[in-house]
Amino acid sequence: MFLNIERDQRRFKQIVRGRIRENLRKYITHGEMIGRRGKDAVSIPVPQLDIPRFRFGKNGSGGVGQGEGEVGQPIGKPGDDPGGSGGAGSEPGSGHLMEVEVTLEELAKMLGNELELPRIEPKGTANITAEKAKYNSIRQTGPESLRHFKRTYLNALRRQISTNTYQPDDPYIVPIKSDKQYRSWNDVPKPQVNAVVIYVMDVSGSMTDDQKEIVRTEAFWIDTWLASQYQGLETRYIIHDAMAKEVDEHTFYHTRESGGTRISSAYKVCAKLISESFPVDDWNIYCFQFSDGDNWGDDNQQAFDLLSEKLLPATNLFCYGQVESPYGSGDFIEALRKQYSEHDTLILSEIPDKEGIYDSIRTFLGKGK
Amino acid sequence: MKLRNDFLQELQANLGQTNCKVVVADGPRILKCQIQQCDPLAVAITQLALETSELASVDIAKLQSASQSLCQRVNYLLEPISPIETDADGCVVQMRSSPPQKNDTGRFYYELLLRRGGSVSLCRYEKQAGTSRQRVPATLTHEVLGRLAEDFNATVAEILGN
Repeated sequence: MFLNIERDQRRFKQIVRGRIRENLRKYITHGEMIGRRGKDAVSIPVPQLDIPRFRFGKNGSGGVGQGEGEVGQPIGKPGDDPGGSGGAGSEPGSGHLMEVEVTLEELAKMLGNELELPRIEPKGTANITAEKAKYNSIRQTGPESLRHFKRTYLNALRRQISTNTYQPDDPYIVPIKSDKQYRSWNDVPKPQVNAVVIYVMDVSGSMTDDQKEIVRTEAFWIDTWLASQYQGLETRYIIHDAMAKEVDEHTFYHTRESGGTRISSAYKVCAKLISESFPVDDWNIYCFQFSDGDNWGDDNQQAFDLLSEKLLPATNLFCYGQVESPYGSGDFIEALRKQYSEHDTLILSEIPDKEGIYDSIRTFLGKGK
Repeated sequence: MKLRNDFLQELQANLGQTNCKVVVADGPRILKCQIQQCDPLAVAITQLALETSELASVDIAKLQSASQSLCQRVNYLLEPISPIETDADGCVVQMRSSPPQKNDTGRFYYELLLRRGGSVSLCRYEKQAGTSRQRVPATLTHEVLGRLAEDFNATVAEILGN
């Protein structure tokens, strides 16, 4: 039976989704507004939704044709009352926020629509297979939670009929242990297109916490989009100053070093990681590098050599985002532009501040690679 | 003190000059100043550097420690100076104005480099949006330049003394 509450709930969800879509740009640029809720969902604060309701007036306060005035006397306007007192309030309005849960898949869909992102065409032949459990068989044993109700009772009915214990006038069917049937699964090999995202971040002394926050926010949205495009998305993190190393996610976002900037050190670690763990033919490899571009002068050529020989040929996309430090944006992005003006798998983006995240994501993911 | 006095005397000798270089020495320490314009009250310089072979074999820890002291000493440039990055491979400590000065046209900051080899140097940079950073002249009084010369000298002495 169709319950009204379901319709109301669906409509409520539509309104909430609509609010999120309207404010998606704000959520994209202010990553702190989004909280993780488990692996597959996030909670997003949306302004309190006003539920329509009747507003009652004061009882006995008069109505049409009542009061002290004469016929034809103009009605006073609001604020005309000479005895009124008080001005505008100084307190902020009570804009309560309500947190709603949205699945990452849905969020990715909204992001794709908002930024008009093309769907990604995976490279390779999907020659990696993953075992996937499929409930397509029946067994005599199993946990009660998987008991097949219909089959169990059919078995019991058959048994009772065959043993003449079934009485149509008193149709009780009581399954015994041997009647019980349980759902069971088989492992089905399923071709899978795998992808790895390697984030590289400069954590040298000139990168402040504000820049890292920009990187964190942008990485969240990139992850959300790529996860919606690939089933087996792996994420790896590399940090560098003058030295580079692979780290976990927490270290990636919370480390600040004071070393100088040598981008080539990160490229070396990245190239080693790809060659050891992610065969190019089997994996869709994405690199997202973030730095303030203040590379120490003599390091550029070494970085370009690694990029040309090891990284660009191996990756679907190599994205370089240059975030602006208190000293302005560095020169590395310009050097890349000059060196690789015609390379279509190298995407460059300048991110002056949080507002720049939106365009940067579109630049990075707008190629559909 | 000798280096400072000699330097100030040379500045006096170059009053009114444009695009010239002043070099004074005290033993192995050589102070070089690239001048854009030298006026009686102030001098527009594009670089001030103290070079010495005495720092040929110092380690990065000594440079880092000396850079901290240098930043504390150089508190008269109207912009606080702090160590920003350390390149252990190249054995260089980079110090900059922190925070840099901002105006409508861009950002300006001093950059000091302390290198093994060695040298202590100061330059001023301007960074406008969409362009590479440019070295710009720093206009400093004779008194301030004298103090900088003395502080650079003291930094080298501190590294050698440690």
